[in-house]
Amino acid sequence: MLQELKQEKVGIIPCNGEELCEGTLTRFACRKVLDTLRPHETVTICLPLFIAGDAGERNFAKTFPTITVDGCSKRCSQVTTEKLSGKPRYAVVVSELLKERGIEVPPSKRTLTEKDQAAIDLVAEDIAGKVDAILRKG
Amino acid sequence: MEKKIVVIPCSGIGKAYGEIGRQAVYELIEDLRPGIVTTTCLARLMIDDPDAKALINDNPVITVDGCAKDCARKNVEFTGKKVDRALRVIEVFKENRDLKAQGILKLGEDGLKLVHILARKLNEEIAGLMRKEP
Amino acid sequence: MSDDFLEVTYDKFVFRVKTGYFFHPEECWAAREGNLVRVGVTDFLQKVVGDLVFLELPETGKEIARDGYAGTMETIKTTVDLFCPVSGRIEEIHSGLIDNPQPINSDPYGEGWLFKVAADDWAGDKKNLMDAQTYFPKMEAKIKEEIAKK
Repeated sequence: MLQELKQEKVGIIPCNGEELCEGTLTRFACRKVLDTLRPHETVTICLPLFIAGDAGERNFAKTFPTITVDGCSKRCSQVTTEKLSGKPRYAVVVSELLKERGIEVPPSKRTLTEKDQAAIDLVAEDIAGKVDAILRKG
Repeated sequence: MEKKIVVIPCSGIGKAYGEIGRQAVYELIEDLRPGIVTTTCLARLMIDDPDAKALINDNPVITVDGCAKDCARKNVEFTGKKVDRALRVIEVFKENRDLKAQGILKLGEDGLKLVHILARKLNEEIAGLMRKEP
Repeated sequence: MSDDFLEVTYDKFVFRVKTGYFFHPEECWAAREGNLVRVGVTDFLQKVVGDLVFLELPETGKEIARDGYAGTMETIKTTVDLFCPVSGRIEEIHSGLIDNPQPINSDPYGEGWLFKVAADDWAGDKKNLMDAQTYFPKMEAKIKEEIAKK
């Protein structure tokens, strides 16, 4: 017996890019959305697990709306999501968002400090706003 | 181009192991083996980024996976490249049972100790690989 | 969908309950296997605790009471006690799991079995366990509690 309980949820897919601090930012911002801003409305999709073929990650991304969060304009998360499950509802590019809003890119990809909180908050709020837009429209 | 050792963490975002692996790689790149160890974004391999593919094809590769799902190793091997070493953070935790990470991204004191232990272990693997390389 | 399992999906997780098994409130299961009862932990429990790293199992030959302590499982997040769903004597333990407990996560109802008991009174002890259909809604209630904790 299979019962599917449709919860209104949005999948957040960060790129986790290791080479740029914007990649580190995607992790912190996404976790903020998942843990604090929209904990009951969002689910994280682990991109490496998604790519490796995990059924849970892939099925969720096929069934529910997603937001990809890329560090840079290579848009690895967006391109991969489109290839493996379908077009995300929104595609955030952190480097472009920071530039648009005049926020400095954090200096270190290894650690983000209190000083970088403005950047984390900006990205997290942007994602949260998009989650709300998805859930309002249905 | 000078040979590098490419160390790629899974950077899994669901568990502390992903962040521990990622931080250990940064410790190698910035503190223990600057100029010798490098990394690349795992996802760049999936979008067929030519520079990322050339980097792993031309150099030895070590993957650092958080857990037994082995995402980094699998993702690299999907490109046709066989990794030279594959480590799992969970195995390091088994040897250091008392060091429990505090959170998924904010690891806390014990989580950071695990990072240092893992970085040193990776450093030994790199030493082994460098002895073999011409 | 499978005849072997009752399933429910929450977010990206499919929670499974093996039909034909019997379930204890402390999230272990029992399945008759010839003269023995095979014991393991539920899919719900392994998902909640995360990747198993350490495992302690009871010794073979040990007499154990129903609801009695039967070892521990440890992950990077937590340590949980294991309980035995039936009274009897431990006849066999799945010793391979001690160095590699990963099958408990990947196959909790199959390769993740923990130990086998020569039960004193299987018919009697079974009455205190839940069949899959009875356990399933209780599992769902626990899932909702876990989600609400977030």
